[in-house]
Amino acid sequence: MRIFHKKDGSIVQLIDKDKMIEWPVELPLIFIEYIRNNKLESYNDKKVEKEISEYLDEILEEVAIPRLIEVLEGEDNEEIIDALKRIEKIANENLDMTRPIKPYLEDLMNNKNNEIKDLADNILGLFRKEERRKELNKKRKVMKEKEDLFLESKISAEDYAEARKEYLTFRDKR
Amino acid sequence: MNEILKGDQKQTQIELPEDSIKIDDLRRKEALERLYDLVDDLIEEIYASGEPVIELPSRSNSNIIWDEKSDLLLLGKQIQKKQFHSLTSVADITRLMRVMEIINELLKKDIHATKREIFYTDVKLFKDQKNSDKSIEDVSTMLYTTRNSTHVVASARGSCVGRLRIRDRNDIIDLEGLGSGGWGISPMLDDIEIIESDAEFILVVEKDAAMMRLAESRFWKQYPCIILTSQGVGNVAVRMFLKRLRNELKLPVFSLVDSDPYGHYIHSVYMRGSKRLSYESPFLATPDIKLLGVLTRDLDKYNVPDDCRIPMTKRDIKRTEELLREKYVKNNPEWEKDLKLALKYKKKAEIQALSSHGFEFLTEKYLPEKLTTGDWI
Repeated sequence: MRIFHKKDGSIVQLIDKDKMIEWPVELPLIFIEYIRNNKLESYNDKKVEKEISEYLDEILEEVAIPRLIEVLEGEDNEEIIDALKRIEKIANENLDMTRPIKPYLEDLMNNKNNEIKDLADNILGLFRKEERRKELNKKRKVMKEKEDLFLESKISAEDYAEARKEYLTFRDKR
Repeated sequence: MNEILKGDQKQTQIELPEDSIKIDDLRRKEALERLYDLVDDLIEEIYASGEPVIELPSRSNSNIIWDEKSDLLLLGKQIQKKQFHSLTSVADITRLMRVMEIINELLKKDIHATKREIFYTDVKLFKDQKNSDKSIEDVSTMLYTTRNSTHVVASARGSCVGRLRIRDRNDIIDLEGLGSGGWGISPMLDDIEIIESDAEFILVVEKDAAMMRLAESRFWKQYPCIILTSQGVGNVAVRMFLKRLRNELKLPVFSLVDSDPYGHYIHSVYMRGSKRLSYESPFLATPDIKLLGVLTRDLDKYNVPDDCRIPMTKRDIKRTEELLREKYVKNNPEWEKDLKLALKYKKKAEIQALSSHGFEFLTEKYLPEKLTTGDWI
């Protein structure tokens, strides 16, 4: 176990990352998410929270992602399908955790197996959705600024209408 | 508490004496290999002599030794022989072969079965579960391995709550969030892994009622701990799980049992194993477990009223005297003193007797005071 010492003298113990090498491929990610979402704050110790957070990053970089990549780059379609189904579940809950494997999902779009392609596309669709949401937020902010400028008569009605058209076109494009 | 315990913890690694047999905890493939080697040897012997003999470590009382250094009950090196061509052992051998066949199936399919299920696979042959149980233990000793390694498991009887997170195959289980019933300790411990804990000690309780009281008050919130119960003598799964917790988390372990000879016996089984499963002691025993209570001396110290103290029966007195004759008790003066005090008073009391001071007395006064003052044996 990896031991973390709190200021009050108590301890927190987490499983050693080496033991996770034999875990089902998606489980290290689930573990990281579980500790981050459910336990970190409950330790009530900023120093330990920081140390554990760094340890979880280590697990992500050294165990979780390499193991997923290993499976996604492999030739066992069933294993790839299983992994993709689990990645999709995780991505639906926390997209950021699956971001490092995005390039490997893009590669899978060339796979001959339709189920693999569909699953990879579903996950990539979540990234696309997220990027669109970010872009829309950005454009909404710009639109708000234009509206303010227009109300202050600092831009012409034509400029405002042009900006509004551009924003609405983007917003309604699916 | 940790200060009091410093330097008092025994080595996790147990060094076995030369006059005891060595048992291995095996992975599935290793257990299968060992089983096939054994069968190959038997076949060779059948070809060579036509009268094969099975040799296995004897589990009779005369072959059970107490090792003072490791403080464990272990199996000595006496060997017992079972002849295939003997009328007296033919039923025994047939049952043994049937159990080997069943274990082969369990290992090959990577599934587990309880002793009861094995009995029901061939009721005609086994006649009584005692016979199938004996054959199961014979096969484990023949293979020089633990019963769990043969995928024959104890039925789930124990439970655990507190500051612990485990992995059971693909699931993460939080033992703080399972209600007052807690997590039923799985007999299939090879599927279980400890993944996180911020506990500072482990508490083993004899009674379900005490467990409920502790769970209801969420005792572990204020006193970071992991609580286990086996409702009586710890079965194999509970003892194995406790040992695993102790070894991996390296936390102090305490027992809370009734103040009677049976309670002390339960503590001793957690501590050094039972005679029946002495060959598995190194995998089941937790030698540095402390007897936190209820001690005989606690009855006066905590003013347990006379009407909550029960007179000891003749059987209780006999059991207490037997315990006092055990070397491991003689080697622990404080334990000996407490048992002698019980004989002097000829009184016993259950953990629940502490409720005479109110239902919260156990969790708010008794346990915190015992733990913080280091009042244990």
